Formats: sequence, structure tokens, C-alpha cells
Amino acid sequence: MIYGDKKTGVLVQGATGKQGEFHIGLMNAYAKQVGGRGVVAGVTPGKGGQQVHGVPVYNTVKDAMKEHDIGAAVIFVPAGAAADAIMEEANAGIETIVCITEHIPVQDTMKAIAYARMEGASVIGPNCPGLLSPGEVKMGIMPSALFTRGHVGVISRSGTLTYEVVDELTRAGIGQSTVVGIGGDPVIGQTFVDVMQRFEKDPETKAVVLIGEVGGNLEEEGATCTDLPIVSYIAGVSAPPDKRMGHAGAIVEGGEGDAKSKIARLKKHGVPVASRVSEIPEMVRDLFRCGC
Amino acid sequence: MKLREYEAKNVIKAAGIPVPAGFLIKSPDELTPHLAALGDAFVLKAQVDVGGRGKAGGILMADKATGTKVAQELFGKQIKGLPVKEVLAEQKLDIKHEYYLSITVDRSSKQPLILFTEAGGVEIEITAKEHPELIRKVVANPLMKDLPPFLIRELLSTAPKEIGPVINKLYQVFIGKDALLAEINPLVATPNGIFAADAKIIVDDNALGRQGITVNRDLSEREREAEKHGFSYVELDGRIGVIGNGAGLTMATLDLIEYYGGKAANFLDVGGGAESERVKNAVRLVASVPSVKVIVVNLLGGITKCDEVAKGIIAAEIPQKVIVRLAGTNEAEGRRLLSEKGYEMLDTMDLVVKKAVEVTA
Repeated sequence: MIYGDKKTGVLVQGATGKQGEFHIGLMNAYAKQVGGRGVVAGVTPGKGGQQVHGVPVYNTVKDAMKEHDIGAAVIFVPAGAAADAIMEEANAGIETIVCITEHIPVQDTMKAIAYARMEGASVIGPNCPGLLSPGEVKMGIMPSALFTRGHVGVISRSGTLTYEVVDELTRAGIGQSTVVGIGGDPVIGQTFVDVMQRFEKDPETKAVVLIGEVGGNLEEEGATCTDLPIVSYIAGVSAPPDKRMGHAGAIVEGGEGDAKSKIARLKKHGVPVASRVSEIPEMVRDLFRCGC
Repeated sequence: MKLREYEAKNVIKAAGIPVPAGFLIKSPDELTPHLAALGDAFVLKAQVDVGGRGKAGGILMADKATGTKVAQELFGKQIKGLPVKEVLAEQKLDIKHEYYLSITVDRSSKQPLILFTEAGGVEIEITAKEHPELIRKVVANPLMKDLPPFLIRELLSTAPKEIGPVINKLYQVFIGKDALLAEINPLVATPNGIFAADAKIIVDDNALGRQGITVNRDLSEREREAEKHGFSYVELDGRIGVIGNGAGLTMATLDLIEYYGGKAANFLDVGGGAESERVKNAVRLVASVPSVKVIVVNLLGGITKCDEVAKGIIAAEIPQKVIVRLAGTNEAEGRRLLSEKGYEMLDTMDLVVKKAVEVTA
């Protein structure tokens, strides 16, 4: 597993908000199903002493850490408070921090990620659906019903597009080791490279599906830093330049980061690229068939 | 959002970076009182929200005698289809050397990236391709308020030391104004010192509120309307309307339309957890575009419930054909509601897109 397993205790920051409460329920339903620890503590400043779905809420992350063994945190707080939440968790010693929150100004994200790096924490997101290791742990908002355990890792900048791919894989009988949504912002903590390096060391992962989109060139960096077999898909072939396609990071700027040149570079490095999402399962099968 | 040149120059001037003496005018007549201050030769620059305005005729040279006439000419122009409503009249600089300086967000290092070259005056993209060794780059730790002097020395190398403070001041602008890009191109040496001859600042759309910017000028009217509803929306020029949930899935739907030979009219991401009212608004918004002949709805329910989506589609009551793909949470109920009303539903995104392309062919 990468980032966590059944034994990982999860903290939710923004536990008493609508989103936080809803997803604590779903995360713990999944934990119960797979026999994991799930969400063990919540944090909302000023709401210490309350409970959400039976999970105790604390005023600060440090208060929660005194009472529980916590390895990961999931953030559901509003954009203006999310960078602070990342830093509070990193400072308290949490190793993996998943930030679901969208619309955080990039300057705040850069500071929070630099701070987390200094404290030795890994940030997934922001603006991401989190991660799910089927049969082990769910940290975030992915719909667990679509997932099945297996040996294909998935890394994606997207949310629902990831679910679409996972659904296609599951229907084709191809299980997943861990699925990570790294986020749709221009600056994110764990990039394709970081997650790929974890998959390399993960005995459960034999191949990787890499789902990218327009903007930047981090897909290429991720695909070329590993010996693991990869199938990729890049969204935004039809995206016009200088327009943000929903994600803050999905933009072709100064003639850079367009899908066609990304695809060309990936192919040049021998990485197969699917033209349609529905082609992915067959291409993954081909990877295993040729044993490469 | 991209600031106009005069706005960007006001920002960097306030930060202490020298800019040429200049005046914003809104009609040719407004030039007259500034003629004395502008000197013998000056430049008139159209303030329009498009790139490449120089080549499109948006920058004209003038002098005391011709000034008003040239201003009339410029105000009468359309630059890449946009009328000229504002002109920056600026003193002409006696340029001895041109430099390039920019600060951007580096996705790879997750830090501000500062680029400087002494080989200015050429398009930076061309220098980057042909002489990458001439561009000096450093990344800055975003937790530090000032650039440390050693980084500035690395950037400058043999360039004049008086550029150093300009670099640090531009860094303050980059941080303080929530910029995604702060660029001075060219930064010029003149007998009177260093000046920013042009300036470009792009402000993070997620920080417009705290920067006191109320209207995002980069968006069209319909795009702004969509933003009010909380949708991500981009106008395109085809005939197939598209509604999806999630940016990636919606983009993939547009790509599929292109793959099957069709053209999308828009990108609309309705967002996560959309209820029927939101879906109704989304469908109506897309249907209000005159060129839209058919609408593809591609929804993968997770937090979003398919029955809510179905109710929203039905409530929108639009004249165009709607082709729907629903999967996930409460799928059966959503399908039942739509089939009762006779909507066309198909099982996969490939099938709905293919159908829509056929309908518009």
C-alpha cells in the first residue's frame, strides 16, 4: 500500500461542516466494511467535545494527536482556511495530508506545501478527491462501490474522470492497488513523479494508469521516472488555448501544456496513450499480456 | 485575470519600479493637456484585453505635432476585433539595452520561478528554444518575504547591479498581488536609469476577491453568468452543448466529440453534488446559446445523485434534444424518471457522444 492501510488512523479537519460530516460517515462505512480504523478524530476550532457519527471532535490537531494514533488527515475546510489547516497538521506530525478543498489561492498553496515539506509531511491535493486503496483505506470522497482490489495503480489530476476509468477497469475485471487523485490545481503537493515513486516500491502495484490533462508537463516527468508499465490518457485534446477548463491548472499557456504535444512526448518515450477512456482496460491487458 | 498594461504599470510603480511617464486617455482630446509632459516623441498604446496588440497595429509612434491625429487614428481602430476605449500615452525611452525579467509559478518545484536574461528584445519563447543558456533561472522559497541577495547575484551575473532592486521589488509584487505571472518585457537601460518599458501581471482567479477585483474581465458575459451559478463554463464554437460533472470528465466528453468528428458548443462542469435546481439552470444556460442543436449530459454519480439530475433535466423544459448518460448513485430512479418523459438515454459516454454527432451531422 502507499500512503496508508487498514491500520491508519485518519483525522478529518472541518469535521462539523456539511461536507466533513457527510464524508466522515462514508469513510467510516467503508472502514467498517473492510475492517479498518477509518476516521478516529475530527477537528473544528471551537467545537471541541462534540461528536460526529460517534467520532470525537477536538479544537486543535495537537489535542487530537494526544488522544489518538493518527497517520493521515483529510481537509474539508473552506479555501481561506485550508492552507492553515495543512500547516497545522504538518506541524503536529501527521505524515499524509489530503486536501479536498478547491479554490485556494496559489500563493497560499505554495507556502503551505513548502512548510509541510519542511516538517516532513506529504500533501495530496489541493482540489482533489483523495485516495482509495481498495480493501484497505479510503481518505477522501471517492465512491468506493466502483473499486475492486487488484494490481493496477491509478494517478489522476481529476475526480469523476478517475471514477470513470476505475469503473471501466472494474467492469473489465482489472482491480486496483491504490487510486490517487492528485488534484486539479497548478501547484499540488504530490505530483505524478512522487506518486509513481511510491508505486515503484509498492509490491501490490504491477502497472499504472496515468490520467493527465492540459497544463504543465508533469505527466511526462511522471511517466519517464519509472520502469513500471504505464497506460496513459490525456484530457483536453480539444481545449482552446488560454482558457481554464474547469480546473485552475487545466490551461494551455504561452503555447505550453497542450494535450497534443503531451501525447506526442509520452509516445516518444514509449508510453501508450489511449484516445478514449473506454480503450484503457484493453490497453492495460495488453501490458500484462506482453509481460513488459 | 490579466491586468491591462496601465494597471500593471501602476502596480509596479507603487512598488518602486521606475516606469516611463505616462497618461491614460479615454478620447483623443484628453491627450492635449499632457503634450507638454510627454516631450517631443511619445508612444500611444491601445489598452485592449488581447495579446499581440503590437503586431495588430495597437501601438503607434507620435510626436507633438502629430499626436492628436495619431490618437484619433488609434481610437478609431479595432484591435483583433476589440474597439479601443483606452490608450496609454507614454514618453518614448532612449533605449540602450533590453533585458527580460519574469516571475511565474513553477509547477514542478512548487515554488516561484524567476527568469532573467540579458538577451532581451526578442520573444522569450524564441530565446528559450534557440539559446536556453542565455536565460538564468532560480526558484525562491515561498516562505521568505524577500529574495536572498545570493539569488539576485546568481540572476544578474554580469548585468548592472542596479537591476537587483527591481528583481526584488517585482517579487514583492508577485507575492502581494497574488500573481500567477509578473513580467517586465522589456526591462530597459537608458541614460536616465533602468525602466520597465512594458509590464504584464496575471492575477490568480482564486484570489480576485482579496485583491479587490470584482469583475473577471477574462470571462465572457455568459461565462460570468455561469460563474454566478457556480459552474465552470467555457464558450466554444460548435453545435453540441455539453454538461458534465467534474472538469476531467467534461473535458474527456469534449475530446470524444472531436474524436467522432463533431464540435462542442461549450464546456460546462456542473460541479459535485448538484441538485435538481442547479442541473435545471445548467441545462437552460446551455440551451440559451443559439447555435446549440443538441445537448449531451454525461454524469457519473458519486456525491451527485442521478435522480436529482433527471429531475433537473425535466424541469428545464428546453426545446432542444437532450441525450443523457447517467451512471452511479440512484441510477435506476434517474433512468425511470427520464424514460417516463421519453428522453433518450444511452449506457456509455461513447454512445451518447456518437449519437449527438449523428444528430448534428
